[in-house]
Amino acid sequence: MPPKQRAQISSTSSVPPIPKSITSTSQSTTHGKSSSTSSFSSKSNQSAQDVLIDLWNNYLNTTPQRVKLVDVFMAFLVMVGGLQFVYCVLVGNYPFNAFLSGFSATVGQFVLTASLRIQTNPENKMEFRSVSHERAFADFVFGSLILHFFCVNFIN
Amino acid sequence: MRWLLSLTFAALLGIVQALSSSGSRLLVVVEEAAERAKYSTFWKDLEERGYKLTFDSPKNDKLSLFQHGERSFDHILLLPPKSKGLGPALTPNLLLQFINKDGNILLTLSADAPTPTAIFSLLLELDIHLPPDRNSLVVDHFNYDTTSASEKHDVLLLTRSSPLRSDARNFFGGDGALAFPRAVAQELGNTSPLLAPILRAKSTAYSYSPKDVVETVEDPFAIGEQIALVSSMQARNSARFTVFGSAEALEDKWFDAKVKPVGGKDSKTANREFAQQVTAWTFKELGVLKVGSVEHHLSSISEESFGNDSVARLGYLNPTIYRVKNDVTFNIEFSEYSYDHLAPLKIDPADALQLEFTMLSPFHRLDLVPISTTANSTIFSSSFKLPDQHGIFSFRVNYKRPFLTNVDVKREVTVRHFAHDEWPRSWEISAGWVWIAGVWITVIGWVAFVGIWLWSEPAYDKSKGKKMQ
Repeated sequence: MPPKQRAQISSTSSVPPIPKSITSTSQSTTHGKSSSTSSFSSKSNQSAQDVLIDLWNNYLNTTPQRVKLVDVFMAFLVMVGGLQFVYCVLVGNYPFNAFLSGFSATVGQFVLTASLRIQTNPENKMEFRSVSHERAFADFVFGSLILHFFCVNFIN
Repeated sequence: MRWLLSLTFAALLGIVQALSSSGSRLLVVVEEAAERAKYSTFWKDLEERGYKLTFDSPKNDKLSLFQHGERSFDHILLLPPKSKGLGPALTPNLLLQFINKDGNILLTLSADAPTPTAIFSLLLELDIHLPPDRNSLVVDHFNYDTTSASEKHDVLLLTRSSPLRSDARNFFGGDGALAFPRAVAQELGNTSPLLAPILRAKSTAYSYSPKDVVETVEDPFAIGEQIALVSSMQARNSARFTVFGSAEALEDKWFDAKVKPVGGKDSKTANREFAQQVTAWTFKELGVLKVGSVEHHLSSISEESFGNDSVARLGYLNPTIYRVKNDVTFNIEFSEYSYDHLAPLKIDPADALQLEFTMLSPFHRLDLVPISTTANSTIFSSSFKLPDQHGIFSFRVNYKRPFLTNVDVKREVTVRHFAHDEWPRSWEISAGWVWIAGVWITVIGWVAFVGIWLWSEPAYDKSKGKKMQ
């Protein structure tokens, strides 16, 4: 779909300008630890708390709203999956298929959402030139539906 | 069915005398008519119990144990021959064939008549050992009859042996002294599980050869309770073979003789009663087990639930297939033949009748409990949950005890795994509710996410979207 691609590339001009240095920080927010250590070494007189607050503020200021939404959903999935796992450890894994489907629903959804995030993040635009956001989202919806179908069936 | 028929006949004919469970044709191998007359009381007792006695000499050419490949007799009683051997009709091979065809043999020995080599080798094959010197007899200087053998001490006075095991059936119990004149000692091999002694000598007895010129006996063949005077072999097919150490003990004169032990009082011998017990056991009037109906079914179905519908009542019995973890009930009917009728089998409290549920090796081995008794049988039952393993299994009752016929009943069934729709639904298991909720929370969360995603298209994307359309 050449016209779409062209449109996407041309749309970059309409995106609000983002300072280069800040973008690089936000890019590495998901990989929290490495970015925090790098920033810590550059401004060694700052306390760790300040760095974290900086990081958080940067994240809030620079991350597109949709990416934030994806991050919130992923955090939610981690929480739901973690609770199920803790329950399994505490109570035991009977019925095992229910545990498997419950836990893997969150894991699978997390993976699908992560790929949606990668494909729709404006940072990665150059890498996913041929994949429009709409296409990525449609893939995500399709994959998720299959996942839910499997999980609900597997739990019997 | 056959025993029922024979019982009916017995009742109709008014025969209340005992009848062996395996036929009444008894061949008595005796060489001379004079010899035969010595045992007249013994013959009379046997005839009174329903046996048809055929007397024949081993020298008779027409004597044959088999006719057209079938046994001509049900039982054989061998008296010690005066001549060297037993002749061509009674070779060890033929006697073993007779046992293999479910015939029973009572073999009597006597120290007066040397045991033929054929008998010697037959016994050797069954792991019963006789003293190598054919004239050996058992002597006891403490338990002998003072009236008849005050010098030679070769008439043993014995009481019945105690049961082999506490849980074994004792068919040979009773009071009174047994006189065993000039008995031949037998030594039973250790390895054969088919052998069991019926009567053992006292601890002071020993086997001795009168030919020995030496005053003291050196290295005797067997001593003490090692000596079996009456021993039994029950083959795998439950045919019985009994060796009776002293043929003389069966003679008329010892049936009602007065004996006097050392330092004791005169008493009448119990030989007659003992002879009856031994012949009754050997010729299968005693200790014969019979299995009646064998049935198994799901425990959840009981006979009552069908009312008078006889077809449905039978339909639930003995299915060929079960599912893993089914609750199953197994019933087996047992009778024990006792002289002339079938009686309910009673299991000693120290013993157990057990059911195995087995595939190669038993997955369950359970005690069968008597649940009801009919006029001539006991019904044993056991209920259990099938193992969580599918395959071809069999219900097996393997009951082999000394002096009782062998029982090994198998009923094969298939055990299948759960069908797809036989598992409980997810919501029936409360432990899984958390994970079920987890799945649905994920789904609902995803729907909400999709909704917000679509609703919250960012401002900068709008121009792009317009352009695209």
